[in-house]
Amino acid sequence: MRSRAAPTEDPPDLAAALRWRRFRFPDTLYRHAALLTVLVVIAYGVERLDIDLERLPGVLGRMGSTLAQRYFPPNLAHIAQADYLHSVFETLQMSYLATVVGVLLAIPLAWVASANVSPSPRLGYPLARLFIMACRSVHEMIWTILLVAVLGFGMLPGVVALTLFCIGFAGKLFAEAIEAIDAGPVDAMRATGAGRTQIFVFAVLPQVRVAWTGTTIYTWDVVFRAATIVGFFGAGGMGWYLRESVQRIASQDVAAILLSIILVVLVAELVSAWLRKRIAQAIA
Amino acid sequence: MSSLTLDARVAAVSRLRRRTWSTRALVYVALAAAVLWSVYVIVVADTDWARLAASSIGKTLGRFMEFDAALIPDLVDPTIDTALMATLASLGGLLLALPVAWLGAANITPLGKASYVFGRGLMTLSRSVHEIVWGLIFVSAVGLGALAGILAMAVRSVGFISKVVAEAIEDVHPGPIEAMRAVGANRLQVLLYGIVPQVLPVVLGTVIFEWDINIRRSTIMGLVGAGGLGLVLFRQMAMINYGGVATVILAVLLLIALGEVISHYARKAII
Repeated sequence: MRSRAAPTEDPPDLAAALRWRRFRFPDTLYRHAALLTVLVVIAYGVERLDIDLERLPGVLGRMGSTLAQRYFPPNLAHIAQADYLHSVFETLQMSYLATVVGVLLAIPLAWVASANVSPSPRLGYPLARLFIMACRSVHEMIWTILLVAVLGFGMLPGVVALTLFCIGFAGKLFAEAIEAIDAGPVDAMRATGAGRTQIFVFAVLPQVRVAWTGTTIYTWDVVFRAATIVGFFGAGGMGWYLRESVQRIASQDVAAILLSIILVVLVAELVSAWLRKRIAQAIA
Repeated sequence: MSSLTLDARVAAVSRLRRRTWSTRALVYVALAAAVLWSVYVIVVADTDWARLAASSIGKTLGRFMEFDAALIPDLVDPTIDTALMATLASLGGLLLALPVAWLGAANITPLGKASYVFGRGLMTLSRSVHEIVWGLIFVSAVGLGALAGILAMAVRSVGFISKVVAEAIEDVHPGPIEAMRAVGANRLQVLLYGIVPQVLPVVLGTVIFEWDINIRRSTIMGLVGAGGLGLVLFRQMAMINYGGVATVILAVLLLIALGEVISHYARKAII
């Protein structure tokens, strides 16, 4: 407690209690212990990972000179090839297909994985949660590597990996949106004898429609960002050219490809923000 | 209102409805057509189904199931390395994010519109570039090793942390700040004693959340030359030891589950 002592106490105690302190004993101990732990972890990490701290101050300068000497000027002719421009389009298609399939799979999963209206609270709820969590936990690039091993090179493993990523990403947000709905319509329908599917279609869906649409577009944006890279591990799209240039140590080509990736991702982000705003206006 | 104008208005509304309906139908048809086209390009044209059937997916999947227990002792050290990399990266990200949040918070940005736009631009840049790309950039700048991975993840974390913190700064209660200004505090004092105490819980909560994400990211930083579990995964993959790959992925899942539990309790302790 940081409050002042009651005025009925003895005057000396009152004076002591009135002296203001920011934190009192147990709080100060916890705070200092937490700070100490963080510092110890930093020191241990720097020691264990063999990080040369002397190199840290010059990182920006060295990065600048590396970029200036090896990566500049970006070889814009390399990204103006028809093949590369075609791969930008393929990346777009991969992200689109993965988002559509992923969202369509995520909708029933999120329904089952919602704590309030799940059709199968005992068996389905934990299983669906676990599946969504597993999709989220494994990084999308690990999915890509695994699926390339199983399905071979090409766009298909990339799309499957992105779909799994999309299920993990959108599934969690969808389920959270369902859990945040107003219980009134659900209770009303339940009272009149509606089944679980009817409740979902007529009480849940109308409430989450707007939030889900926004989430879907945002998911596409995130999936597109990942889709530009999955090619680096053998799936198709722009990343394939990135990998090829990195392996040739053609730094100026790499620079041009990185610039183009940053550019298309920024464009995708702007498009997604604009679409979300438009759709929120249109259906709200 | 005369019946004539009412009729006219009803007609106008129904026309508008028909038009929205037809726009909607058009949008859905376009979306479906794009799906079909993508399916054609990706699944039909780009995939060699004959080879895929011959190589038998089932057999490959079966080889992933051969759990390689002999690898487990070699996984302990990389797992700790990975967790440490994520921790250092989150702290480094926080360090870099605070000035960016200061620039990108509309109420305290130092040079008005210009620094606000600059701060927001830095946030977008940090978030838009994938961690693999940041990793490639930093590996070429500081060489192979954990430092490159840590810097890459730190820079990637800046966008999210600074965005949340800047929004928290914009939402602070103005009372304490006005009170401090009234008794003559300067900008730095207002920042330290008026704003920081109000946003500190948000900052810590965000860093812990980002730490959780960074554990996930640090499992792949090994693929571009930073060490940790990603490097082991890459080596097992290169040796075509699929059982070992599965073992590494189990270690990744364990680490992530552990991180999620820790971050859950740490966030609870703060809030």
